[in-house]
Amino acid sequence: MKKSFGIMLALLFSFSVILSACGGSNNGNSGSNNGAAGTNDGTTGQNNESASNGDGEKVTLSFWTLFSGGDGDNMQAMIDSFNKEHPNIQVKNTKLEWGEYYTKLITAVGNGNGPDVGISHISRLPDLINQGVVSELDDVATEAGVDWSTFNQNILEASIVDAAHYAVPIDTHPFIMYYNKKLLKEAGLLDEAGKPIMEQSSDGFITFLTTLKEKLPPKVMPFAMSNTNDDPFRLWWALYSQLGGNDVVSDDLNSAQIDTDKAVQAAQYIQDLYHKYKVIKLNDPDFYKNFQSGTAAIMMTGVWATGTWESTKDLEFGAMPIPKVFDQEATWGDSHTVVLPVTKKEDPAKRKAAITFANWLADNGQVWAKAGHIPSKPSVFEKQEFKDLPYRSDYVSVASTVKFSKASTKNWQIRDLAMFKYLNEVWANKLTPTDGITKMTDEVQKVLNE
Amino acid sequence: MKMKKLRVDVQAFLFLLPFLVVYFLFTIWPMIKGVEMSFYKWTLIKKMKYVGLGNYERMFHDQDFWASIWHSTIFVIITTPLMIILAIILALIANRNSKLQRFYRSVFFIPSILSVAVASFLGLFVFQPYTGLINSLLHWVKLLPESSEIFWLSETNLAWIAISLLTLWWTVGFNFILYLSAMQDVPDEVYEAARLDGASDSQVFWKITLPLLSPITKTITMLQIIASFKVFMQIYVMTGGGPLDETRPVIQLIWQTGFRKNDLGYASAMSYMLFVILLVLSGLQYWMNNRKEVD
Repeated sequence: MKKSFGIMLALLFSFSVILSACGGSNNGNSGSNNGAAGTNDGTTGQNNESASNGDGEKVTLSFWTLFSGGDGDNMQAMIDSFNKEHPNIQVKNTKLEWGEYYTKLITAVGNGNGPDVGISHISRLPDLINQGVVSELDDVATEAGVDWSTFNQNILEASIVDAAHYAVPIDTHPFIMYYNKKLLKEAGLLDEAGKPIMEQSSDGFITFLTTLKEKLPPKVMPFAMSNTNDDPFRLWWALYSQLGGNDVVSDDLNSAQIDTDKAVQAAQYIQDLYHKYKVIKLNDPDFYKNFQSGTAAIMMTGVWATGTWESTKDLEFGAMPIPKVFDQEATWGDSHTVVLPVTKKEDPAKRKAAITFANWLADNGQVWAKAGHIPSKPSVFEKQEFKDLPYRSDYVSVASTVKFSKASTKNWQIRDLAMFKYLNEVWANKLTPTDGITKMTDEVQKVLNE
Repeated sequence: MKMKKLRVDVQAFLFLLPFLVVYFLFTIWPMIKGVEMSFYKWTLIKKMKYVGLGNYERMFHDQDFWASIWHSTIFVIITTPLMIILAIILALIANRNSKLQRFYRSVFFIPSILSVAVASFLGLFVFQPYTGLINSLLHWVKLLPESSEIFWLSETNLAWIAISLLTLWWTVGFNFILYLSAMQDVPDEVYEAARLDGASDSQVFWKITLPLLSPITKTITMLQIIASFKVFMQIYVMTGGGPLDETRPVIQLIWQTGFRKNDLGYASAMSYMLFVILLVLSGLQYWMNNRKEVD
């Protein structure tokens, strides 16, 4: 009895520690939120005046986001300026933890307590639609005068499910390549313009990496890359797509349909980088840090790292699309979109205000691009404010070559539960690429069957 | 007289009411709801359709489920004896040296006050290659050549060792405290008598201390088995259940099924299966203990 009481206490204690830990970071957030809320209140005050001057009815929108860090600050800044520009629409931002965002969104909408506006990854959209969490927005978009042709069509198409618009994309965040200029120069692989000297082919990229290995001191790794899960998977997806591989599920989304030869070829290529050419540090627990501290010549990850590298002192880096290793340019990417969750009582005024807000976010992507993301509207690239941001223009072209997943409701499950599992073993050299892809195919099918 | 008793009862009930309401709302009701869920196809949003025993039937053919039950069992088998033996050894050390007792008590117990998240991340940092404490130490004492690394968390067997060591370090303090207080309850006269009869240290331990500790040992064993079966967080942080799901415990599978696969019905069915397993184990142990006492 005493012991179980002790366990109870320990549990309670650990819970409270976890909670307070989360609370801690939340407090950090809400600290900035409060600051922002302060300015919000200020503007609300003015708005009330202007509203009473007869500017029409005021709409307040609750907006749930999953952004933290730089993303969170940029989003808050955008919301603040939107609120200032639109006296009749006030957006209130609720920042949720990334890890629990979707679960909370789904359950809240299920209970009828969801927000007016939300964020969804484009790859998660089909699942949310299928569960009845987000609503179709063709009518309201027309009413609010959203011009779909102003969006990057590659991103936009990925947000269309069953021929209907369900989301307003605000960015794409693809997988790109970063390089350390100092180290490349030391190895004689940097041209006058500060770009890597590399032939864009499967041999060319390997020659580039092995040259780096020869020319640089042994403690410098040519290529900083994780050994498990997301980033090597993204590289595999990119190379598989460069070979013309067509997703991993069939068009009717019911069965696993991996282009085995291409999938194996891509996996073999990456496995060789780890084990044959040894240009990647095996099981590196800190590959971000290694690039950041200048002990790795190149690294690949999502564009969100740009903001981090920029704020790192003494890191002279460049950003570019990942090399065209195989037949066609392609890379992995996802996209943040604004969605209108299903509400108990549909309020046309709110919906219209929400879509206006979403479109405004896309129009003002130059702020959002500060974290590294590529804005969803090409018109933003022309803005001086965007051009003044370094690096981004070096990789905006990637927006059109991102290979999005098909609109499967099980995208995240397939990735997290089936693909990571076997690809990780291929990178660890415990499965041959052929075995890995074969087993992966079975597992994808299993996830689809469940 | 009767009236008075009734009044006392009513008063007692009123005082208990707040607790009962909370207990019912957050413990009893979810348990009932869980049983209901296990008979349905039930997503995060709503119940979809009645499937009867379908979820349970599926479970019997689900290799992933049995594999994860086995993984949790492996963990129980590795950790439970160590948890008890190590706790006794630590308690003996602390009990013997009465001057440093306070010091030992805090040193051995302090890790247990860490939250599971903190302990797990410490484990991750200790066992990771290149910069981890263990590999660095091994390099330092030249047991491991400078150019090679042990990948503790990427090999199934090594991962079990790493997870078990972390858990042992983190939670053994509780058992230690229980043993220590039990040892202090043994009257000094017993030891004195034994000494007068010329008993050696080891005889004193095997013939006196250990038998007198047996009630607390039984309790600790049972609670330890149940606690170890519920392992999840430290594995999730340190290996994510990998490689190839070979360290994935049943709780992780239940969580994945419920919140990643959005299948609360099947997750509830698995939870109840785990509940039944634990119930049977506790029952078995209770029965065995009672039988011995009758003998």
